[in-house]
Amino acid sequence: MDKMEQWFGTGEGFPWEEKEILRYLGHRGQEIPENVKQLIGECQRELENAAAARSVCAEYPLAIQDHVIDMGVLQTKSRNLEKNLRDCGRILIFGATLGSRVDVLLKRYGQLSVSRAVVLQAASAAMLETYCDYCNEAWREEYQKKGWYLRPRFSPGYGDFPLECQKEIFAVLELSKRIGVTLTDSLLMAPSKSVTAVIGLSKKPGTCSVQGCEACGKISCEYRR
Amino acid sequence: MDIRKAMEERILFCDGGMGSLLQAKGLKPGELPGIWNITHPEALVEIHREYLEAGADIVTTNTFGVDGLKYNGQTGYSVEEVVRAAVRNGREAIRQSGKEAYIALDIGPTGKLLKPLGDLGFEDAVRLFGQVAAIGADEGADLVLIETMSDSYEAKAAVLGAKENCGLPVFVTVTFDEKGKLLTGGSPASVVAMLEGLGVDALGMNCGLGPMQMKGILKEVLALSSVPVIVNPNAGLPRSENGKTVYDIDEDTFASLMGEIARMGARVVGGCCGTTPGHIRRTVKACQGIEPVPVHKKGRTVVSSFAQAVVIGRDPVIIGERINPTGKPKFKQALREHNLEYILQEGAAQQDHGAHVLDVNVGLPEIDEPSMMEEVVRELQSIIDLPLQIDTSDLDAMERAMRVYNGKPLINSVNGKEESMRGVFPLVKKYGGVVVALALDEDGIPETADGRLKIAEKIYQRAAEYGIGAEDIVVDALCMTISSDSKGAVTTLEAVRRVRDELGGKTILGVSNISFGLPVRENINAAFFAMALQNGLSAAIINPNSDGMMRVYRSFRALWALDENCGDYIQAYAPEAAKKKAEAAAERRGNTGGPGSACPETAAAAGPDAPTGSALAAGIERGLKEQAARAVRELLSARDPMEVINQEMIPALDRVGKGFEAGTVFLPQLLMSAEAAKAAFEIVRESLQASGGEQEKKGEVILATVKGDIHDIGKNIVKVLLENYGYEVLDLGKDVPPEKIVGLAVERQVRLVGLSALMTTTVPSMEKTIALLRQKAPWAKAMVGGAVLTKEYADSMGADCYCRDAMASVNYAEEIFKGQ
Repeated sequence: MDKMEQWFGTGEGFPWEEKEILRYLGHRGQEIPENVKQLIGECQRELENAAAARSVCAEYPLAIQDHVIDMGVLQTKSRNLEKNLRDCGRILIFGATLGSRVDVLLKRYGQLSVSRAVVLQAASAAMLETYCDYCNEAWREEYQKKGWYLRPRFSPGYGDFPLECQKEIFAVLELSKRIGVTLTDSLLMAPSKSVTAVIGLSKKPGTCSVQGCEACGKISCEYRR
Repeated sequence: MDIRKAMEERILFCDGGMGSLLQAKGLKPGELPGIWNITHPEALVEIHREYLEAGADIVTTNTFGVDGLKYNGQTGYSVEEVVRAAVRNGREAIRQSGKEAYIALDIGPTGKLLKPLGDLGFEDAVRLFGQVAAIGADEGADLVLIETMSDSYEAKAAVLGAKENCGLPVFVTVTFDEKGKLLTGGSPASVVAMLEGLGVDALGMNCGLGPMQMKGILKEVLALSSVPVIVNPNAGLPRSENGKTVYDIDEDTFASLMGEIARMGARVVGGCCGTTPGHIRRTVKACQGIEPVPVHKKGRTVVSSFAQAVVIGRDPVIIGERINPTGKPKFKQALREHNLEYILQEGAAQQDHGAHVLDVNVGLPEIDEPSMMEEVVRELQSIIDLPLQIDTSDLDAMERAMRVYNGKPLINSVNGKEESMRGVFPLVKKYGGVVVALALDEDGIPETADGRLKIAEKIYQRAAEYGIGAEDIVVDALCMTISSDSKGAVTTLEAVRRVRDELGGKTILGVSNISFGLPVRENINAAFFAMALQNGLSAAIINPNSDGMMRVYRSFRALWALDENCGDYIQAYAPEAAKKKAEAAAERRGNTGGPGSACPETAAAAGPDAPTGSALAAGIERGLKEQAARAVRELLSARDPMEVINQEMIPALDRVGKGFEAGTVFLPQLLMSAEAAKAAFEIVRESLQASGGEQEKKGEVILATVKGDIHDIGKNIVKVLLENYGYEVLDLGKDVPPEKIVGLAVERQVRLVGLSALMTTTVPSMEKTIALLRQKAPWAKAMVGGAVLTKEYADSMGADCYCRDAMASVNYAEEIFKGQ
């Protein structure tokens, strides 16, 4: 992912996944007019400038007994997550964000041009996913050397993984201090373009490669792939 | 000895990390460290004492993150108990060590982002910090150390909280990343400007980086700061080793880098995460014999926003004048109707045209100026990163705006009248700011430059008595229109030049006053602007949307060697040159823009396959704003406005809406169409108003994102569509409590309420709102939408309509208001 490194350094040339942007925009194969293409391009440039991607990750022990998932710093129950963590012995907990300048952009165009706000919303969501994939790939390489395999990342709020767990995750990772992500009283993340997730570590190669949408139990979701 | 005095005499040493030492003594992850002040006082005293014995002059209380949010009664201990115990532990350690040392009351961030980015109110933050400061001071702390701030706004709240609740010296350190930015985007220049404005006694940086990475940022801060600089780095850059955090440099390397940092000019040094008494002992040793670098006043005139600083000096500054109702009926109407969108548009347009600072004036006799000023400043600073100039003669409005402002503002204005100075200077002293000083006093505006300089001198002198330096004053020598005073310009220009040459001061002018009462005012304005710049004008309040004025500005900078390689000039005007060249070439070929022309907009409209045969409809359907606006103007010259709406615009909108529902048009297209229609509607509305008519509204609809939810994109989409269909949208914004929504529905007898929620956690607020609506406003229908909602969910909470997308809300509104 040289392109990602290049973007870190220069603020240009982020490795966009255009298809993902279109998916978030609800695109279903319609013809894309020139002015919409242009708008998407402009939004990408604005985000490359405004976003400051940061992440933090830490490793914890993992034990699952009687459907209680115990990560040392956090205990929870979730059938979906339990399935995702089958055969795992340790766990990574991580947080990532594009920073608050992206929210300033979203707010700006929420007031001034809602079409631009919608495209920025979609493009920043895609950008965050790509950044998380990049981080995961780096950890995958690191852990593979030690004989660990990474399971797909799984976020609080996916399926039946309780959103309440955000409180513990924020506390143990010190997310507000280290990457500037905070939790509102209603458990929303601010800045909004932020992610927390857990990643199971297993000595067995991936028996389950389901990731993102497909791993989620909410089949009615409009944005499901 | 007062620490401020001690700091003048020698380099002072802070202590180092606390968290890892407490963990070594048994603090569990997730346990609140503050409680240890009470449960394990001996552990705290021991750590403080070890730091003192290592040579620290300042012990920092174990109160990082102690505030009323976290210690809210559920922890078993109150903020008061914890803070008092923490200060006592520090005092006991000092007693045991037998040294003269200072207790710094540690104040860290709340862990919350402030509104509007997060959900903590600014005044709530001030109160939380203020509570800790008041208790700590009462218990005997010697100073307040506000640290690890990564958001300038929260840092400001903490400084105000401390200063309003105790008289202790205030030190502030912020956390920069490796690019030298705060997490919320601030730069060393913007941070220094704001903190100095707030009158902190020392400032600097801590955490985030090791001493190596801080050196570059320190250099920048030292060049800017007029107060002593603090450096408390981590013990290097962290990495995780077997689940433990380790740092990339050892104690000796740390200490030798800290020695370099002291030699560069830092006056208070210590450590943060990962540092131990060992680091501090070696640092003290490494700094032995280093002659402290004197702290100089830098005398820079600088204003800031949350993200950037603007220096007022040799390179002229453009201050956009458009946010001002004077002589603008549309602006006045926007203010009366509380139409902030209009004001934000004015702000954004000026930024796009090259303004560096935005003047904000919302004074109108019939509105509550202080509330409006505060609100407009809050809104502008949340979407625009330019510094603001707070322009009002109402002291209450001025103070409220300065208080909530995230940075160091320009203040417009003070004058030579005693009453004015008595009112304005205390505000500038407290909140910080650069103030515009009008060269007039009780006797009016002097006719001569001499007279105006005398007033300027008087203002400088009175400001100094309040502790405000000359660098925080910019003199407005005042423009008198030449149509009534032929010497007006000559006198002003003389005064501008002499303020610079004789008083060493900075100047500002509202340039366009000069031409009042004359035809084609742009001619005079542009010429006068160039003359004023030549005479040393530092800042000009102008209309940056005026091409002529910006041409003067950019040309002046190129001519005056302020624009390296004429880069800015070329960037601004090369496209214009290229366009002219292309047009000339096309003309030579006899091509007048028929099929195959380079302009896709006109080609689309005139082309044989334009979908409706109408340029207006095509403009709307294709989402081409300018084409739609142009076309509607043409149509209005021949046809009745209502006919244009009903026969052209609404059918076009309907076609796009149907296409969206059928899946042939996707969301960005729908919205670009809506925006093109909106632009066209504006023009129709103006035309209707000009002929004394008005577009009839179909009805009022309340829109709100429910309490707890801070996502408003869905609501904004619905709003723009409903407005196009002729509804009056009462937009209550986001995070809106049920009482407010229902209150408005009752007050205005609104028939339709649209509610949006994005998260499962905020859906209960939606349910509550509907329940209250049923009770208090049974006539009102509730339509709901949002990512997590489903038809079943909406039904279960008693909503009248589940809107799966924005068009669905339009269709429902049409149904509700049909045939009324």
